[in-house]
Amino acid sequence: MSFAILADELQVKYRSPKGAWVNAVAGLSFDVRSGEVVGFLGPNGAGKSTTIKALMGFVRPAGGRCEVFGLPAGSIQAKSRIGYLPELALYYPFLTPVETLTLYGELQGLRGAALRNQVRELLATVGLGDAMTKQNRNLSKGMLQRVGIAQSLLGQPELLILDEVTSGLDPVGRKELRALLKERQKQGCTLFFSSHELSEVEMLCDRILIVHKGRLIEERQIDSLKNELRQYLLTYRGAVPMLDLASEWNEQVEGGTYEARFSDKERLIQAISRVQEHGQAIVDVVAQEGSLEDYFVETIGRAA
Amino acid sequence: MKLRMWWALARGVVLESLRRKDLWVVAILGFIIIASAGALGFFGINGLEVFAKDLAFTVLGLFSSIIAIMTASRMLPEEIKNRTLYPLLARPISRFDLLLGKLAGSILVTWVAFFMLSALAAVALAMFHVRFEWIMAQYVFVKMLGLAVLCSVSLALSTFMTPSAAATMSFVLALGSATLIRALVLAYSSASAPLQVLFKFLNCCVPQYQLFDLGSRASNIGWPAVPLWVVGFLSSYAVVYSCAMLVIGWAKFRKQAI
Repeated sequence: MSFAILADELQVKYRSPKGAWVNAVAGLSFDVRSGEVVGFLGPNGAGKSTTIKALMGFVRPAGGRCEVFGLPAGSIQAKSRIGYLPELALYYPFLTPVETLTLYGELQGLRGAALRNQVRELLATVGLGDAMTKQNRNLSKGMLQRVGIAQSLLGQPELLILDEVTSGLDPVGRKELRALLKERQKQGCTLFFSSHELSEVEMLCDRILIVHKGRLIEERQIDSLKNELRQYLLTYRGAVPMLDLASEWNEQVEGGTYEARFSDKERLIQAISRVQEHGQAIVDVVAQEGSLEDYFVETIGRAA
Repeated sequence: MKLRMWWALARGVVLESLRRKDLWVVAILGFIIIASAGALGFFGINGLEVFAKDLAFTVLGLFSSIIAIMTASRMLPEEIKNRTLYPLLARPISRFDLLLGKLAGSILVTWVAFFMLSALAAVALAMFHVRFEWIMAQYVFVKMLGLAVLCSVSLALSTFMTPSAAATMSFVLALGSATLIRALVLAYSSASAPLQVLFKFLNCCVPQYQLFDLGSRASNIGWPAVPLWVVGFLSSYAVVYSCAMLVIGWAKFRKQAI
């Protein structure tokens, strides 16, 4: 199995203003397989951006191993295969998006007509077709984020590392970005991104990693997590007891109806059979999708 | 390949700087001062050629030094502060390439500004009917070398200290290096042997900016041009010193967390 990212007992320290060494990342181990879409979650100060900086070679690890496509993180060979979007980046205020992307493209090794075409195509793709020649200082925060997304896609990278990818984007922009990233994934690109927008994470990711205080505290496949978080609400008539099956049972909600909540489908089916055996009527069955946000808050709360 | 990379970085610096207002403010200020001197000639006050040339060269030297220091000392810290450095360093380039490209950019910006000011000075001096002399061309060439050294020193200092501290230190060195070197030479003659070694070492470390200022010679009428071997030596000194500063800056910057 080929890994796009491999972090093994990664440690990053920085010196606080008072002079003491602080562990921003404390023995973090994870991997991202080629072609995967992985969301990197955690509260503020959890070490997400520092880990990403270590992957890009902006900070040097104090310990452990950090590789991208089997190459040392931050090496020129590794960087040539990565597209990177920094968190809250500003771009040269007096350059236009075209000039900005041309500069980055030239550093990426692109030249001539191929570069010019790619720059124009990418700017049009991210919705900046009409603002190509405006100076960056005249662009809104969302538009600057689009410039950032466009620059990260230059040179068709095999791995996209996106720090706070949806920052500054409006709902339309987010939807377009989601479509764009899904398209890239179909083309075989690996995506590794951090975000506080958990709904985006839910819609895009195959897997999530949750970090807290520089450590990995949870790693889940998003599909199995969604199944786990899904609940079924059964409303029925008649006093059929459900305490042994339901996670929650409310007697006589209104007009002689009862409500029972189930965490898995099997128990729901058993409950429906029981209601029918008692000759009572089923009023409603609703599947409720669980909230990743609640799960996230609960997980962080457990780790704290 | 590398040349294209350095050129791309340098071009970015030049474009960005030329579109900022601060460079133009300095150019306009310089123009006002030099044009004022030119106006004296226009109103028929004669015998002031030496004064006008001296003023023009002083303004040229001072203002181009300000531009060099402000451009080179602010560049890297501002890139870090504004996070514009991240997308740059995310590209397949080394930190040395980045530093070299940025240095080339700051030197180009300074030279462009210097040429603009020189053109204004030439117009102002023409109003005095000042004759072109070979020493003036030498002044421009040697000054360009000195400005390159100044840029490299400012950039190297900015990797060690805050931009304002780097700018202040660069100004102190630019304006006071001649005095410092004179003091070292004086102290050398009466110092003990170990101290003499130290003074010699310090003398080598301090940038010899005064060597790159031919303004006093060029101001005087009829002074001969500097021998070509001196210009050659100054060129070599500027290249070696700038490279040394680049390596010092890179040594600090290459492992710096950003």
